[in-house]
Amino acid sequence: MKFSLARPALALAITLTLASCGGGGKATFPINVTVSNVQYPGLVLSTNGQDVTINPPATAGQDVVAVFPNTIEYGQEYEVVPKGATVVNHVATGGALPKHQQCSPNSFPFYGTAGQLAKIDIRYTCAIIAYPLTGTVKGLTGTGLVLANGSTTGTIPVNPALDANNAPTGADVPLVMNNVPYASTYGVTVLTQPTGQTCAVTGGANGSGGGTMDDAAEAAGGVNSLVVTCVKSS
Amino acid sequence: MKSSILRAGVVALACALGLSACGGGSGDLYLTGTVSNVTKDGLVLQNNGGDDTPVTTPYTSFQFNNRVSTDDQFNITVKSIPSNTSECHPINGKARANYYTIGQIAITCTIIQHPLTASIKNLTGSGLVIVNGSDRHDVPAGTASVPMATVYEDGAYGVSVLQQPTGQTCTVSGGSSGNGSGIMGSATEGVTVTVTCS
Repeated sequence: MKFSLARPALALAITLTLASCGGGGKATFPINVTVSNVQYPGLVLSTNGQDVTINPPATAGQDVVAVFPNTIEYGQEYEVVPKGATVVNHVATGGALPKHQQCSPNSFPFYGTAGQLAKIDIRYTCAIIAYPLTGTVKGLTGTGLVLANGSTTGTIPVNPALDANNAPTGADVPLVMNNVPYASTYGVTVLTQPTGQTCAVTGGANGSGGGTMDDAAEAAGGVNSLVVTCVKSS
Repeated sequence: MKSSILRAGVVALACALGLSACGGGSGDLYLTGTVSNVTKDGLVLQNNGGDDTPVTTPYTSFQFNNRVSTDDQFNITVKSIPSNTSECHPINGKARANYYTIGQIAITCTIIQHPLTASIKNLTGSGLVIVNGSDRHDVPAGTASVPMATVYEDGAYGVSVLQQPTGQTCTVSGGSSGNGSGIMGSATEGVTVTVTCS
């Protein structure tokens, strides 16, 4: 008789416990994002028909943490990409990126199914885009020419053009310096003169091998106006 | 019957040769790792106080000659450092060997940096801007000296005029190439280039 009272009480307790496991609905998951090194506005991340705008942090260098407006349910798929990006096999191209920057997902997967991981935390890292700094070396016949862009990104050796008999022709040689990030200055100098010749750098925005990778240079896809002219040493 | 004995013998011999070829009993795991901030010879690593291993060009990785076995204790230390570094140290260099621990080893060094200074002569106009690559400095009239960003020892520098001051033309001289460029040596005081305006 006593047992028959205990049994309904137990059943009630089980029912209450089950109800607390999700209140009769599915578990929901907020989509968190953390973006590093945002320096310019323009980044909009998008998934499941929702957008979140990522602006540069108040304190430069800090990560920006955001969450999408609505949660998604257990089992729903998500793929967080820049809004409007073309996505092929989980590789996103283009979309709403910060000005002058490229952003890519970093270590953590940016797509999946809600519930695969305990917490959805998408990580993106942005970098300033670097543009080509190129031009032409004229009249080079000697060996040993080395150019540098100050102390920034290594040194660039340039060899003379050779004819069929391996004799230097003095013909124009393409010059390719290392890429220069947007808003960064450049100043190309001759680190080592070639044997028997003296070379001088002209061109660039200031006419003497220097300049800034500014909006105009970015719009042109880089700087292609460097000229290094080599003449016989006097 | 005879052939089966022969076969067993050959197989056993082949096995023995095969094993001895695997490092003469010194294990089957290569002790390797990555190296960062090394630009020249001079870095020598040791494991458990021996097996001296120099890190050679392109200075991005190392591999000890002697292999280790699973559960062997390894303890990688730095015996000597390149002349242009102030220190080198191992990361995850001490552990018992297994496929996980031997994939976590790194050596990182700190390259010495030296001051680069621009001495400014006779600047009366305003607007002078000098750069060493991406290191940009506005130079007001009357300035005598501009401390530029430090430069790695054995690294290149090249100071140039980004923007001339109003009414004057400035040229850069000095440095080991004579035109404001050069390779940073080991002198503690660094390098001073000269910007002369007229």
